[in-house]
Amino acid sequence: MAEFNIQSDSVDVAKIMEQIRQRIREKRGEDYTEQQIRELATVKLEKSLDPQQVRSDLVEHYRQLEPPGKLEPIQHEVPLPAPEAVAFDRDTIYVSSRGSMGKLIRLIRKILNPILMLFFNPDRMVSALMRQAEINAANLQILQRQTDLVKQINTQFERAGRKFAAREELDALNYEVLNNLVVEMTRLAVDMKNHRVLVESVAGRLDFGERRTRALESVLQSRSPASVEGDAAAASPARPKRRRRRPRRRPEAAIRGTGVDPVPSSETSDQKETTKSQPATESSVPSADKQVAEPEPSKTGIVESPASSVTQPSVQHRVPSTSLKESPDEIAPPVTPTMNTAVENEPHIQTTTPDSVSPVETVVPPFPKTDTDSDKQ
Amino acid sequence: MRLAVVVQRYGADLNGGAELHARYVAEHLARHAEIEVLTTCATDYITWRNELPDGLDRVHGIPVRRFPVSRERDADDFARRSTQVFDEPHSIAAELAWLRSEGPTSPRLISYLRQHGDEYDYCIFFSYRYYHAYHGIRATGQRAVLVPTAERDPALGLRIFGSSFRGVRAVMYNSFEERALINAVSNNGNVPGVVVGIGSEVPLNPEPQRFRQTTGIDGPVLIYVGRIDENKGCGELFHYFQRYARLSPQLTLVLIGNPVMSIPAHPQIQHLGYVSDQEKFDAMAAADLLVMPSYYESLSMVTLEAWALGRPVMVNGRCDVLCGQCIRSNAGLYYENYEEFAETLQIIMANANLRSALGSNGRTYFDMHYTWPVIEQKYLDMFERLTLEDKARQTEPLPNWIHRHRTTLPPGRQEVDRLPGGPTTLVSYDGGTEPRADNS
Repeated sequence: MAEFNIQSDSVDVAKIMEQIRQRIREKRGEDYTEQQIRELATVKLEKSLDPQQVRSDLVEHYRQLEPPGKLEPIQHEVPLPAPEAVAFDRDTIYVSSRGSMGKLIRLIRKILNPILMLFFNPDRMVSALMRQAEINAANLQILQRQTDLVKQINTQFERAGRKFAAREELDALNYEVLNNLVVEMTRLAVDMKNHRVLVESVAGRLDFGERRTRALESVLQSRSPASVEGDAAAASPARPKRRRRRPRRRPEAAIRGTGVDPVPSSETSDQKETTKSQPATESSVPSADKQVAEPEPSKTGIVESPASSVTQPSVQHRVPSTSLKESPDEIAPPVTPTMNTAVENEPHIQTTTPDSVSPVETVVPPFPKTDTDSDKQ
Repeated sequence: MRLAVVVQRYGADLNGGAELHARYVAEHLARHAEIEVLTTCATDYITWRNELPDGLDRVHGIPVRRFPVSRERDADDFARRSTQVFDEPHSIAAELAWLRSEGPTSPRLISYLRQHGDEYDYCIFFSYRYYHAYHGIRATGQRAVLVPTAERDPALGLRIFGSSFRGVRAVMYNSFEERALINAVSNNGNVPGVVVGIGSEVPLNPEPQRFRQTTGIDGPVLIYVGRIDENKGCGELFHYFQRYARLSPQLTLVLIGNPVMSIPAHPQIQHLGYVSDQEKFDAMAAADLLVMPSYYESLSMVTLEAWALGRPVMVNGRCDVLCGQCIRSNAGLYYENYEEFAETLQIIMANANLRSALGSNGRTYFDMHYTWPVIEQKYLDMFERLTLEDKARQTEPLPNWIHRHRTTLPPGRQEVDRLPGGPTTLVSYDGGTEPRADNS
């Protein structure tokens, strides 16, 4: 018989499928699968929550609580109407329901009763039946009471069921509230970190301002007597001229080349890491660096003050990273154009700014996007 | 030669897979033998309600003898018994009760076969899983030829059907994967069997332009033909296509067939409903690609028709039969997840040469194995072989009452799960070994 050997020169389905799967693998590359992303998101959430002393598995724990099953009302059948109680006496066994004929039949039965008593004693049987009728009546009453009781219990049960259902709805709301709380707490934790950075930057700026003020004051104080002395020196040639000190030039490349960490010690380790990993951030503010690196004191002719050589704390920009491997601790807000403009408009006193002083830039971090945000989406 | 075709339903307007298969086989074998169809009065496979008169009838010139169904299917009872035999340890008695519950229960049909079975040379039973096939095979064991139309579903794991597969004179399989499944579950390797499948009558000159004019679709077309059902994988198809449609706004998914699930309202999905054969073939000829998302198929006639029209196909790779057909024919690609769906679809739609080559391979494959002369000859060859063998096969008797009621059988689903899977790649008609390909 013929083999299934249809082979086209150019088409081999198995090979094509292998190529397709290879292409998919290549396209996927370093991307994460959805499962990995979920795992990473969980890790990040825990990192955000742990510092706030919140149980990171709270939501999960709450989710794992088995919801109680619905409380179904007891389905009981409506009892059939109770049989009518039958009065039983000694004459009942002789009664006939055939109208006038029945009276005759009853009479005959009465007459034949002695004959019947030759075979057995009907009185005892009648007594037993009378007793049974009484028992039946009592049972009927008990049954009726029990039926009423079941009805009452069922009513109570239905009422409890409604309460229970309401409670279940409340539980769902509680869960939602709890979940929202945890989300908000995560967001606040990240927000607080950013605010901490902001406060540090403002503090640094304030410190710089104060030092600059002191430097200006000292310059002004030293300028008045110096000018007087300068006039006097011009009058007396015997006194040697004071040599003007040339300001050092420290280009940016030189600073980097020396391996000196430009970040002041007051910065947190997180900021240092961010600074190291974000070299482009420094280049994003070239105007300020350029102003610092290449001062032109000759234009002003003002002598450098010792106070102005104090190293000022510089606040580095924190650029948010899109990498999924980074924790929220590493997420930093981008530089907002508004604040950059404010920095550029900052009245730098270039004549007195030493090379080691860098302008302070403050940024208001945008609202960080946390994992819980993405989860909510 | 006198043949009886025994099938659960029969009619010109019935489009169920096995029923249509039976009608096509009966009509084509009528050119070579005297055919009589034995079936029930039911037309609905859910209820098996008697809707056609019993007695003799004639459909497309073929005599049809109908027998009433003694009881309709009780859906609750059937569901309960299905759970019992598919998911729980059970007994042979439970399987027999499940079979009665499934129907179509027609004792008169079985009685007729018992009394008049000898009047036919062979009785060709379709669909192993129904009442008529199980009891009919037991009534006409020596003359029974089975067309199982088996899929990888839990019913295949029921013990009672093992005797059916072993007790017939021959088995006409639809695919190599089906044969491998049945061999594995029933150990019927000594029963003569051949992979036949079914032919299709495809018009030589379909008019794709007529379809485009009627529907106004100009761009590339992906087409699905068949019942629009969750069980056919249509839900997954809709999900995948809607994702892919954002990448390819010109592509249109055309659906042909009766829906039993909701179709998403999407501008790139067009449902044409049930159409005539001519319209169907026009649409298929106009399409760039046929998609077959079904997880379970014993043989997809639509796929074969697409190949007959020279159109490539894209199938669900989790269906062993479809995947194996694509590999054997080199005429279609397959997918197992969205990424593969998107990538495969993109490659096929972007590469006209690939489409042409796949379609050409498909047409060759169809011409070689699935044209009606080939199918008819395979049946005739098998009958001739059986005549020469003249080997009476004894039907296995049922165990006694006590053994029938012992709960010793494993769940049917468990039995099927342990069967080997994957497409069969290296195959031949001579019944040699068939190593299975690793589909991973």
